Amino acid sequence: MGQDLRSLADEDVMQLVRRGDARAFEIIYERHSAAAFSLAYRMMGTRSGAEDVTQDAFLSLWRSGARYDRARGSVRTWVLGIVHHRAIDALRRATVHDRRRAGDEGIEERFEAAERTDVEAARREEAGTVRDALSTLPADQCQVIELAYFGGFTHTEIAEMLEAPVGTIKGRMRLGLKKMRAQLGEGQVAV
Amino acid sequence: MTMTDHDRWADSAGAYVLGAMTPRERDEFEHHLETCPACREDVDELRPAAEALPMASPPVLPPPALKDRIMAEVEREAALLAQAGPAADRPAAERPRRRFHFPALTGWRLAPVAAALLIAGVLGGVLLTGGGSRTVSAGPNAQIHIDGDNAKLVAQNMSPPPEGRVYEVWIVPKGETAPKPTNVLFVPRSDGSAEAAIPGSPDDIAKVLVSDEPPGGSETPTGDVVMQAELS
Repeated sequence: MGQDLRSLADEDVMQLVRRGDARAFEIIYERHSAAAFSLAYRMMGTRSGAEDVTQDAFLSLWRSGARYDRARGSVRTWVLGIVHHRAIDALRRATVHDRRRAGDEGIEERFEAAERTDVEAARREEAGTVRDALSTLPADQCQVIELAYFGGFTHTEIAEMLEAPVGTIKGRMRLGLKKMRAQLGEGQVAV
Repeated sequence: MTMTDHDRWADSAGAYVLGAMTPRERDEFEHHLETCPACREDVDELRPAAEALPMASPPVLPPPALKDRIMAEVEREAALLAQAGPAADRPAAERPRRRFHFPALTGWRLAPVAAALLIAGVLGGVLLTGGGSRTVSAGPNAQIHIDGDNAKLVAQNMSPPPEGRVYEVWIVPKGETAPKPTNVLFVPRSDGSAEAAIPGSPDDIAKVLVSDEPPGGSETPTGDVVMQAELS
């Protein structure tokens, strides 16, 4: 793989992926697979579920690269958006019985991603900022955001689960995100 | 007192950016967004917070074998694309290979996500597939297109499923009578068109059915069968 390709920004690499360049795709995979797999693992709760979702998301990205629109956000946000949608689909297809959550494989199954580069170190810091922002939310707002985003539950399901009106659940989601947004500050966290 | 469209969707922007709506609600809300600047503003404000959430996931490295599997498929498709030449329409270059085949029914419901929800536009057509192609009627508004080892349901003017339901594709294997669930769930587009990949090899399938089911699908059909096709 040429060094030149590696020096290109994501958006430029995507131009090549769009034309069917497998090496360019490999760069996108290398740059974003750890974040993608981490999100998939958090949502699916099992290694095999996370692998299926990650594989499906990246193959979808490869086959539909033309849909990436740089005006609508970074490649990373786009990749993670695909992973999130695929994981939600998978969770909602599973029966209630099968809907397991992160943690049921035990912590020993996890291994921390190596923080090898400055970029990764910066991301680690940003991850801490996001976790802090979440942890400072009132518990009921944090709960509905986590159930929705990571659990794949709809607002109606969450309302039933928590025995609260749907309007209340939607209000908590909106308020919680609004506070998070204020804490994160515009543009400070590049996802 | 009548409820305006905006009242109905008040406070919904958070649920929308978190992905906490059913596909139908999402479509309806997106339709509402086209005419409601207040909700659009809400969505724009909240979206960056939702997009930052993945970073709260504990970092876990994917296994190297995953990359090998993905790259093997990508390289295979890239080679086919190169063979097809520059004139080939990129999205139509290759239909994804089924990751599970019908005889291997193990974990049907737990099967990988690959076959799920392959709705229109993802795959514009079929190129470089061998074998004959044929079309089977699945009712007045739907057909099953079979091309080699792949089958696809194509519908037009399809009514949306009842409120809070989705359509699920079922398969009756040859030599059996009971429909088996697939992980293919879909909702037609607003113009009534829909496309869904049928998992498994058409050679092993006697019948394809579509019924309305709760979101997430069912293990046995609970709703009305709205389409059916005899493949053999």
